[in-house]
Amino acid sequence: MNPAQLLLFAVGGLSNAAYLFIVAAGLSLVFGALRVINMAHGSLYMIAAFVTVVVAEKLGLAFGFWGALVAALILTGVVGAVIEIVVLRRVYREEHLVQLLGTYALTLIIAGLVRIVFGPNYRTMRPPAIFSGSLSVAGFRYSVYSFVMIAAAILIAAGVYLMLYRTALGRNIRAAVSDSELLSASGVNVARLFTVVFVIGACLAALGGVIVAPSQAVGSSMDTDVLVLAFAISVIGGLGSIIGSLVGSVIVGEVYSFGLENSYTNQFALAFVFIIMAAVLIVRPWGLFGTPEQ
Amino acid sequence: MIARLPLARLPLARSVRFRWLVAAVFVVFALAIPPLAGLHEQLNPDVSGKFEIFLATSAIVLALWAVSYNLMLGYTGMVSFAHAAYYGVGAYTVALLFGRFHVPVLVGLALAPLVAAAVGLVTGLAALRAVRLYFSLLTLAISQVLFAIAFNWYGFTGGDNGIHGLQLPDQLSDFTNLYYFVAAVVGLCLVLMFGLTRSPFGAALAAIRENRERARSIGINVKAYELAVFTIAAAFAGVAGGLFAVFQQEAFPEMLYWTQNAQPVVVALLGGTGTFLGPAIGAFVYTLLDNLLSKNFPYQFDILLGAIVLGVVLLVPGGFSALPALFTSLRARFHREQQPETVESGGESIERADAGKIVRIEAVHADPAPLERGEPLLIVDHLSRSFGGLHAVQDVNLVVLAGDRHAIIGPNGAGKSTLFNLITGRLKPDSGTVVFAGQNITGRPPHQIARAGIGRAFQITMIFPKLTVLQNLQYAMLAHRGRTVRPFGRADRMFRDDAMELLAAVGLDQYADLPAGQLSHGDQRSIEIAISLALGSRLVLLDEPTAGMSPFETDKAMELVRRVAQEKHLTLLFCEHDMEVVFGTARTVTVMHQGQVLTQGTPDEVRANPDVQKVYLGELEQEAVV
Repeated sequence: MNPAQLLLFAVGGLSNAAYLFIVAAGLSLVFGALRVINMAHGSLYMIAAFVTVVVAEKLGLAFGFWGALVAALILTGVVGAVIEIVVLRRVYREEHLVQLLGTYALTLIIAGLVRIVFGPNYRTMRPPAIFSGSLSVAGFRYSVYSFVMIAAAILIAAGVYLMLYRTALGRNIRAAVSDSELLSASGVNVARLFTVVFVIGACLAALGGVIVAPSQAVGSSMDTDVLVLAFAISVIGGLGSIIGSLVGSVIVGEVYSFGLENSYTNQFALAFVFIIMAAVLIVRPWGLFGTPEQ
Repeated sequence: MIARLPLARLPLARSVRFRWLVAAVFVVFALAIPPLAGLHEQLNPDVSGKFEIFLATSAIVLALWAVSYNLMLGYTGMVSFAHAAYYGVGAYTVALLFGRFHVPVLVGLALAPLVAAAVGLVTGLAALRAVRLYFSLLTLAISQVLFAIAFNWYGFTGGDNGIHGLQLPDQLSDFTNLYYFVAAVVGLCLVLMFGLTRSPFGAALAAIRENRERARSIGINVKAYELAVFTIAAAFAGVAGGLFAVFQQEAFPEMLYWTQNAQPVVVALLGGTGTFLGPAIGAFVYTLLDNLLSKNFPYQFDILLGAIVLGVVLLVPGGFSALPALFTSLRARFHREQQPETVESGGESIERADAGKIVRIEAVHADPAPLERGEPLLIVDHLSRSFGGLHAVQDVNLVVLAGDRHAIIGPNGAGKSTLFNLITGRLKPDSGTVVFAGQNITGRPPHQIARAGIGRAFQITMIFPKLTVLQNLQYAMLAHRGRTVRPFGRADRMFRDDAMELLAAVGLDQYADLPAGQLSHGDQRSIEIAISLALGSRLVLLDEPTAGMSPFETDKAMELVRRVAQEKHLTLLFCEHDMEVVFGTARTVTVMHQGQVLTQGTPDEVRANPDVQKVYLGELEQEAVV
């Protein structure tokens, strides 16, 4: 493989990593503070992607994408708030398996609703006008949108970092990660904080969905497709760690990209991702950047 | 006062009878399906009897799959996302052997559980490196890898097309014969699994589900049992998958996809995970719903499944294994009966405790080879453990003499509980050794240390809340004597008399059949102490045995412990805040402070020690400031 090809696949891997990071960061953030694995995280991502395609179609190419971004964030945020208040609040004190089953039920319900509302067919859309087109580097063509995705992920990573380490909300979230009972004793409304964290997580899922919509076909199986990858990333990087999500998504994105490239391995690109995940879990069950659970 | 004994027993007997009735109805129904379908077709020519028999076949295969899933979900408390993969492995075993090597399908079917179990064992070894949530995620990864192999390996598995056109032996080409054949295989598997759940092996699973930590400390190797049940469940899933391949005459990769696990989960929840046959009945309900709805309303069907799971999760407090209890209480409310579930103990049962009775119980062993009184039984040598920068236990030396009653005292945070956790294997020391009865037990897992002869009562009550009071003791006796490896026999009939006697001796016999979690705090403490005695250990560690007991209960409980220790040559090591308890019971007292041993001596020496007074005074001052 020559360097130009290498670059092509590396960029492809990074653009995978970009949207996967955004989704996985939300999953990880929610797990860190709420100690709940949200199986419906991929469903929120799917809702946002469908909303994006539909709204963008209605509004046209010029403003469609931006209108869709706003619509998707609002809708997903509201759905997230409802899920947290109606379902999750009642299972925080239960065992993990009850939480898994509860959010798993939500994936079934949302998948059914999405198919009823948006139909079973795949849909596609084009990137917004200013991000369309392609550029040529060393004999290969790159779509501009790949770089937009990578840039968006970097911006979002920076935003999440600033939110966690530079704001009062972030301080409370980090406190909740280490001891939510103590936080509640010090006068913080933890129930409301949890709702806020969950909505932020939902919005990250939504951002992932919005950003991915112009680059992939949007279909009704994208919830579980992204969910298993986001799990793999979170587990490799360490559940609850945003840095871990970043590293994990680059690993997964690149492994997937390079695995697909080779004709001997392309059938098993996805299997590689899970083999790495299994290997990390076996050696270091709490992930590369995670902390062992008590 | 509430009358207790009759109320607590009557509904139990009734519900047992009810369950056998349900089982009998189920079997008769299953046997009668082909003639009923024929009759249905005669009465209504629009109906296809063959199709109904075919549906019943798929229901019965699903029943097997779901009951095998429930071995993990309901009986052990594990959520696996790999169960569909083992089901698929079973199906592919039959299909590949036939398609590639022309092996008859029935031979393939016989091999399916072996192959599925082998895959389950290997992947289970990996999955069980992690616990709970991480275990579930690891099974997800395993399932996706197996799916990817089935889906992508065109040369061998046929890729996304799967394998079709399996040929059955002539006798099985008839729908009715095929149904009875499948039903017979499923019936045999159900009987085997039912036996398993009632056996001592099943008792170990129940103990793990109820309280992993407690299960370890009564001598159960939790990981090994989880691996065993994971493998056994995989084997039965393999049979179910093999049967699927036989009656559908095909195998395809979607069978292995992780979302397929929704089926056994929903079916188990529909029928009730707390019962053995519930998932099997749920399978028939599911198949019926599926057939009625999914053709015309495929998406609504998904929503319905989700709603069922969500409903069970949200509406059944304390988890879905409480579902039968919910029904019972609803029924009781409907009939305006008095609810036996609400019977609570008053906590005065310790009043009737009788140490003399315990002394006569064989199961509470006297030390088999009693050491000479005064010989060292437990030697803790330079033991240290720190958490981050905090030296919780620092360079501790401690010798516990055989037959002694040894107290460890010290202010909060002195490292007493950490020391106990280091001795019993819950924590691993950073350095130092622990020698028990001449054996080096440093860093050994908790179950081995329990089996070596160290019993423990925890500071926080650690019992099996949903098991009956009697089962709490029976299972402790079974586990500690290594009997829980037996996959046959009836656990509830073993050590019944010994456990009853022990209950009578601690005054809890009248609550024998109540779930232990329903008793008052004081009575639960009594169970905690009784479990540590039931283990027949040489050394019993009691971590604040009387925490939360009333002064009266405390006196009685400690009198009991003292007396039993004396008569049975038990050695006691306990920590306690209540100085009256300490000085009334202990013959040796060790004082700990900030992770280190401050001093050791007889109660009188310790009481007179000015350093000890200073430490306790210091703590009092601190508390005053706070």
